[in-house]
Amino acid sequence: MSGKLALTCAALCAALLAAIPGAFARGSAEPGITPTSILLGGTAPLSGSASAFSSVARGADAYFKYVNAKGGVNGRTIEYKYLDDAYNPAQTVQATRQLVESDKVFAIFNSVGTEHNQAIRDYLNQLQVPQLFPATGSTSFGRDYAKYPWTTAGFQPSYQAEGWIYGKYLARTKAGAKVAVIFQNDDYGKDLLAGLKRGLQRSAVKIVAAEPYEVTASDVQSQIAKLKASGADTLMIFATPRFAIQSLVYVNKLGWKPLVFNNIVSSASSIMTLASEGGKSRSVEGALSGVYLKDATDPKWANDPGIKLYRQILKTYAPGANWKDVYHGYGMAVAYTMVEVLKAAGKNPTRASVMAQTAKLNIASNPFLLPGILVRTTATERFAIEQAQLERWEKGKWVAFGGLWGYRA
Amino acid sequence: MSQRLPSRTASIVALFVAATAIVLILPGFVSEFRAQQLAYVGIYLIALTGLNILTGYTGQISLGHGAFMAVGAYTTAILISDQGLSIGGHTFANDLKDVWTIPLAALVAGIAGFLFGVPALRLSGLYLALATFAIAVSAPAVFKKFETFTGGGTGINLFGIKGLTGSISGVHVFGHKLAFYDWLYYLSWTIALVLLAVAWFLLRGRIGRAFRAVRDSESAAASSGVSLATYKTLAFAISAAYAGVAGALYAIANTYVNPDTFPITLSIFLLVGVVVGGLGTLSGLIVGAVLVQFLPLWSQEVSKSPGAPAVVYGVILIAIMLALPGGVAGLLRRVRPLARRLYTRPR
Repeated sequence: MSGKLALTCAALCAALLAAIPGAFARGSAEPGITPTSILLGGTAPLSGSASAFSSVARGADAYFKYVNAKGGVNGRTIEYKYLDDAYNPAQTVQATRQLVESDKVFAIFNSVGTEHNQAIRDYLNQLQVPQLFPATGSTSFGRDYAKYPWTTAGFQPSYQAEGWIYGKYLARTKAGAKVAVIFQNDDYGKDLLAGLKRGLQRSAVKIVAAEPYEVTASDVQSQIAKLKASGADTLMIFATPRFAIQSLVYVNKLGWKPLVFNNIVSSASSIMTLASEGGKSRSVEGALSGVYLKDATDPKWANDPGIKLYRQILKTYAPGANWKDVYHGYGMAVAYTMVEVLKAAGKNPTRASVMAQTAKLNIASNPFLLPGILVRTTATERFAIEQAQLERWEKGKWVAFGGLWGYRA
Repeated sequence: MSQRLPSRTASIVALFVAATAIVLILPGFVSEFRAQQLAYVGIYLIALTGLNILTGYTGQISLGHGAFMAVGAYTTAILISDQGLSIGGHTFANDLKDVWTIPLAALVAGIAGFLFGVPALRLSGLYLALATFAIAVSAPAVFKKFETFTGGGTGINLFGIKGLTGSISGVHVFGHKLAFYDWLYYLSWTIALVLLAVAWFLLRGRIGRAFRAVRDSESAAASSGVSLATYKTLAFAISAAYAGVAGALYAIANTYVNPDTFPITLSIFLLVGVVVGGLGTLSGLIVGAVLVQFLPLWSQEVSKSPGAPAVVYGVILIAIMLALPGGVAGLLRRVRPLARRLYTRPR
């Protein structure tokens, strides 16, 4: 082979390689932890159709920066590195591998999405990397702790608990109701439906119709039409924000006025406002949902120290972030719990000691959760939050009513 | 005495040998994690080669190759997991190793491509693009529907099952022990280079000439006796088979398949990779593959604020297309006369 040809080849390939950012490994006894810092990693949909959930990561990041400014935890600052997975589980896998093997994080924290966390669960458990507080309510994350000892439950009432609460409320207050359900055809939607069915057991309330839809569907008009035709007087919307808005809009268009339950994932005020079509929709008024976080837009909490702290942290550490976006509040709530876990793990936390702490949580003081909600886990009961309050959409905002509902499996 | 100009074939063979040598020794110089990323580059290269055969050489646009990758991936996943089919109560799960399913994945995807190619004969240009786009958009929903085989929305988790080679522990190959990512790298690049060579042979022969005839002018091709139906469906079948191989490797690499791992953006990125690499030539595809794998990551490094990575990605793409309308291959074509002057400089 001609020498010059070989040289040209080598030059081209070198140019190619130079374009690839270099990698360098960090060596450590327990990865991700030094005397002065702890490195947490996670994924979130920073781009793509689910990018509304990215605030979950930003809120947590802001809270960690606040804690670091006050001296950190046991002398260590918390670094939180989150990567974009565009809500695509294949990318979650790759990004998580990068965090674990290239960045050598101490634990994976607050990764978003049900399938996304399921995609990395086996890998993390085999490598014995903690999977802490995945941002999903899927019941399998609290239920399968024996099989996946390195994975905690999510940091929200499980979807089954949520469905159960709606069912119990109906059973107690609206005997003889006929319920129609629209649900996303995946674990999330089916979990909610299963919880609802459990809550309605042995009651005078019946589910008369249940229509699934695919995440890739373009709209849910036909499902809503079918549900209306079933003669139901109550509608459960177990759908992600985009489809929840569509459902509410179509319900209004068809002139149907059932009692609407919208699930927590899609209950952010901004979503409800969009669905109410500038207040013109009559189907949205009186809709019910569950709530476990303090909503900063609720005037009831305007002078609450927790919400004041929330707004101050966002202003200082996440300038430009929209404080009305409730997902920031979620991020802070879960970051608060993470800090408590790290504090409890003591001066020299290890991955194993941190996991042990997540099985004995008992925190009543989370400033971002509704007062009275207990973050509690035991060796056999791993769901950290099992309580929620019901709220009603009245004249453009959520008004909570009644006491806290506690889920009993 | 002036040097003889090396014949084009000889220089291509030499380049190929050089590339093989580099691929062989590279893992020794990069971290394991980087090897994993380069393995994905190899996987995308296979898909891009197939897509280029269809779009660059035969002129049939496809915005749906992510779906053919999904077909290949699910074939592999179903065959090696407990989700498997059972014939008379006997499941395949214990018999098959993941690598043996790759030819099967190619076959199934190739058949899917052929089945799509037949009705697509009537379509061209924009309408064909829309039809392939429809496949890509509907594929996730179709996979969710057949839950017993595909695991529905949850997908199939391959991690730790018997048929999967490696995972965390090393892999034994010809007496050597390789780390999982190095094994993955060699697997995907061996297949990529072999399939690249196969494509090159195919395209310089009668079939390749027929493809190019179809691309350049359908009426001229038909009047010269080139059967449009045969060669268009053949192009679809071959390119889908390539995508199927890439999909099977994707499943092995991710250790997980799920309808959402093959979104419409994957199909679009593949087309982007082919266009940037250079339609109608094989030389620039490696750059296209590198782009598909790394550009999303580089965009994130630039800025993480909401929506910024997507904007950066778009801006870089536009810049590349403005600077190199013929893709990287076009650039290489322009460089070649300069290189030729180097080779023939008189002593």
